[in-house]
Amino acid sequence: MRLEKCWFCSSTIYPGHGIQFVRNDAKIFRFCRSKCHKNFKMKRNPRKLKWTKAYRRLHGKDMTQDSTFELERKRNRPERYDRNVTESTLKAIKKIDKIRVAREARHHAMRMKGKKAIEQQAAAKELEQSIHLVKAPAALQEDPSLTLPKMKIKVSQSQMEDRMEE
Amino acid sequence: MLTVVVGGRSLLGSLSNNLLGAVKTTHEVIPRLHYNSIFSQQQRTFIQMRTNLKVVDNSGAKRVMCIQALKGRRGARLGDTIIASVKEAQPRGKVKKGEVVYGVVVRAAMQRGRCDGSEIKFDDNAVVIVNKQGEPIGTRVFGPVPHELRKKKHLKILTLAEHIA
Repeated sequence: MRLEKCWFCSSTIYPGHGIQFVRNDAKIFRFCRSKCHKNFKMKRNPRKLKWTKAYRRLHGKDMTQDSTFELERKRNRPERYDRNVTESTLKAIKKIDKIRVAREARHHAMRMKGKKAIEQQAAAKELEQSIHLVKAPAALQEDPSLTLPKMKIKVSQSQMEDRMEE
Repeated sequence: MLTVVVGGRSLLGSLSNNLLGAVKTTHEVIPRLHYNSIFSQQQRTFIQMRTNLKVVDNSGAKRVMCIQALKGRRGARLGDTIIASVKEAQPRGKVKKGEVVYGVVVRAAMQRGRCDGSEIKFDDNAVVIVNKQGEPIGTRVFGPVPHELRKKKHLKILTLAEHIA
């Protein structure tokens, strides 16, 4: 039994799933589900479809080069069954998976770094430019700082309980 | 009566296959797509009477038309034998135009399920001409052939094949 990769979206194809299409030049295309198969028949390029792994790798959204991918390389030589080797391989798969997930999370964090700062800057700019949509110009003139003043409203205990009951 | 919508990618061979085969109804009821895109899928069916098939060996024939599918009420599938009439042949070959021959379907556009649950399909319908005993008349087979031939005991074709899918 061999777990193949879908030609279109690069997800694993488990036994009993999918269709394989053999072209006349003997190139085999395996698809995990009819979505990928239909997109292929439509002659869509997976590198342009945002939900495929090919796009994500190409545009740097996912890790491309890592030593954890070495284990998943295709091997065409059958190995003689050795119980110890099998046991150690199974343990290794678990460990390598964990490492790979951690590295991918780190890659994602690196990618999203600095997002908060950008968001804050954008929010401040929007406040500055579009405050007239929210506050009347007369009120703005009163307050030359052009920011909404922070007001602390005291909520009594009974009022909170009423709201909870609702 | 289901109307067959032709997909944009159809080759001439498969196009004629579908037009001629549209006399009998398609074997599955697939819910019809609601948009009239040129990419609506072509429904592939069995190999039945009047189906044109490509010949992929060097027996001399080029195109062959199925006149009977042995085994199978609705038609032949991948790996089945058919009786066919030679429609187009090379000038000097072992078979001539108009001969009635037996053939083994080695490539079918209709998907065939495998015992592990997956399905396999090819790009076109192709046949290898055999004699009554099941041995191929030609000495070479072109293009990929499926594993299914092993179960059907067409081992000679498998040995001649250049690629086994």
